[in-house]
Amino acid sequence: MIYFTELENLPAHDAKGEYLGRLADLAINPSQNSFQVAYLYVMTPRKKLLCIEREQLSTISVRAAQTSVSADQIGCSAPDEGLICIKKDVLDQQIIDVNNRKVVRVIDVDFDIQPDHKHTELRIIAVNVGTAAAARRLLQGLFAKHRIRMITSILPTRTIPWEFVSLIEPDPARRVKLRISYSRLAQLHPADLADILEELSRDEQRSVIESLDDETAAETVSEITTRMQVALLNSLSAGKAADIVEQMAPDEAADVLQELPPETSAEVLANMEAEEAEEVRELLGFEENTAGGLMTTEFIELQETATVESAIDAIRNFSGPIETIHSVFLTAANLTLTGVVPVARLLVADKDTALQELAADPILSVPFHADEKTVINKFRNYNLLALPVVDDNGRLLGVVTADDVLELVVKEK
Amino acid sequence: MRTLPLKWTRLRRWRTSLLIFLSVLGPGIITANVNNDAGGIYTYSVAGARYGYALLWTLIPITVALIIVQEMVARMGAVTGKGLADLIREEYGFRMTFILMILLLLTNWGNTVSEFAGLASGMSLFHVSRFVSVPLGAIMVWFLVARGTYRSVEKVFLAACVFYGSYLISGFLAEPDWKSAAVGTFTPRMSASTDELYMIIGLVGTTIAPWQQFYLQATIAEKGIKVENYAQSRWDVIIGCILVSVVAYFIIVACAATIFISGHRQINGAADAALALKPLAGGAASALFALGLCNASLFAASILPLATAYTVCEGLGFESGIDKRPHEAPVFYSLYTGLIILGGLAVLVLSESRQVPIILLSQVANGILLPFVLIFTLRLCNREDLMGPYRNTRTFNIIAWTTCIVIIALTLLLLIRFFLPDYIP
Repeated sequence: MIYFTELENLPAHDAKGEYLGRLADLAINPSQNSFQVAYLYVMTPRKKLLCIEREQLSTISVRAAQTSVSADQIGCSAPDEGLICIKKDVLDQQIIDVNNRKVVRVIDVDFDIQPDHKHTELRIIAVNVGTAAAARRLLQGLFAKHRIRMITSILPTRTIPWEFVSLIEPDPARRVKLRISYSRLAQLHPADLADILEELSRDEQRSVIESLDDETAAETVSEITTRMQVALLNSLSAGKAADIVEQMAPDEAADVLQELPPETSAEVLANMEAEEAEEVRELLGFEENTAGGLMTTEFIELQETATVESAIDAIRNFSGPIETIHSVFLTAANLTLTGVVPVARLLVADKDTALQELAADPILSVPFHADEKTVINKFRNYNLLALPVVDDNGRLLGVVTADDVLELVVKEK
Repeated sequence: MRTLPLKWTRLRRWRTSLLIFLSVLGPGIITANVNNDAGGIYTYSVAGARYGYALLWTLIPITVALIIVQEMVARMGAVTGKGLADLIREEYGFRMTFILMILLLLTNWGNTVSEFAGLASGMSLFHVSRFVSVPLGAIMVWFLVARGTYRSVEKVFLAACVFYGSYLISGFLAEPDWKSAAVGTFTPRMSASTDELYMIIGLVGTTIAPWQQFYLQATIAEKGIKVENYAQSRWDVIIGCILVSVVAYFIIVACAATIFISGHRQINGAADAALALKPLAGGAASALFALGLCNASLFAASILPLATAYTVCEGLGFESGIDKRPHEAPVFYSLYTGLIILGGLAVLVLSESRQVPIILLSQVANGILLPFVLIFTLRLCNREDLMGPYRNTRTFNIIAWTTCIVIIALTLLLLIRFFLPDYIP
């Protein structure tokens, strides 16, 4: 194994042993092989950049590199946008450690020397972020390489295998060229993704969010702090922001839009599907710290005369996230709330049973203008998972769910 | 759609930009105000006590220089969304960043010591022993940040800025001769005296410090201020810089109107100045002056360690942020807590003369650090790949390079005077 700190400034010679210059950078061509070092760049004493191709490398060690061809056969092209240069694009840059779900800054890069029968190949193994790597960077060039190895061998190392490294590239065009995909990130839990996002700069956040599918993006945005939500949605195009907000629960969507500058928020709403936009607009009318501001309008509402069968049908056809359904709500013809049926009771009842018979007693609800404290106390006193919100005439407007209340309580603490 | 009458749209546009301004307000004003810390107040007091109104004019060029320097990092924060330490690490590598961060730690440790010393001497005027005021202040400061969220902390900081008003009041209570003050403000004069030159260098040095570059850019980046809103953010910076100078102005005026006039022009500390005000301007002015000193010391003692911890973690790649728990960001909290404890302890354990080496060390580190920070700022601010259309224009570059070179030259001069006093006048 050899470190980049040992490779940098390595003297390079051609096949005849003539001095070429010092190693300046290594490049990987991700469109061919994302582990192989495809080009070695050498800076000549006359400040010319030589480009040694993979097949032209004969031997390489901590002492020197030698090519298998003579100097005149070596080209001199500078690295293009489609190559990952170790020094320019990896060293000292932030990367995402997909395995540990963390953002880290690269301190050193580990390579493997693989002698083939004709040439020698350098393969990237891992990026190094440990104390040993930091010490190598500090001592690089000040002591002999074997001394540095000796000194740093007692220090702890931390490496991230190259396959778990996700580079962060804000420029979408270059991202495509470098074949950086955030598909692995999309498999992470949105809460972990949110933690990762919080470590990134604004442009980098945008690049990650833009590459995720709308649903994952929405779940992730729901998990980050309000301040970041605002900054992030502000930096996206209104169209993309609308796609994401559409996928969020209406109450969360309303909360975010409330925080955005009025123009931006109106623009996002205008770009949303009419139906979703309408739901969010209704919620925007309520005061932030009241039951109305807390509630969601995604819930299952049935006529009071309905049966268990129709309730189960309604759950099957529910368009929102199904795991948030704890109860179904019964209303009379004039839309007043007349009953709440916990989902568990549906499971044990006969399919023809009238829902009215299964309704929990008493019917608990809060008016939309009730303050946060009242809502929290209701949840605590009655061990609720969901609480219906009604207007002054008892008509059902929405439902406050336990997860939102939990968030409130935590925030108050 | 219904169209609003022109007057209304204009009013609404004005209202929107006011709202945006209020949302980006903070980083500039807070950063600038921390410059008026214990050391700053002392320097201004001495300037007023020794030279009366004569040096007031220096505040105008100092304000301009401060604005030029701070505007660049604020712009970089808004355009790149990254902190200055981040950019330096990405551009100049690990070793350079590491060295700068060590220097920053040394500088700000010394500064923290002088903040706690300022708090101790300010509170002693209210007959509170330093063995009470320093630990109490340290605990307050630690809890404010460690247990708060970024937003609440920023609000407390902004509120603390209001207390600088006490200097304005004590300035008026000192009943200065406003005509002489006006003359001193608008007629630049330099005497041949080297003492006066060093006084001016001291004024520059206390106003323009390296840590503020890191802190301002990082807070602007973290606040997620967009390039489009940068115009408002620039006002935040400019207003902050002007506020600093206004406060400095009134401190100098208060001391000029009293201590300078009285003829006993020697003061040995900021608290000394407050004490000297008492017989000359009355108990109220003196108490307000001392209160301002306590507030400024406490304010700076909380921001300096915080800014240092942020910057070091950012540059070296450790997790940071007051929204994180201590076990999630151990290095960040260790640095923050360590600076407060070591800063407070130095004041409690060491006598005043024994604190001098720490302060000296910190000023040396500051003198080495500042040129690097200014030059890196200028070079980064000219990078097209980073700044695009927002990079420095040619005219601005001429002004900015000149400003920075003057600041660097003055800083180095001060440094040389410390070590080789025999070689320069």
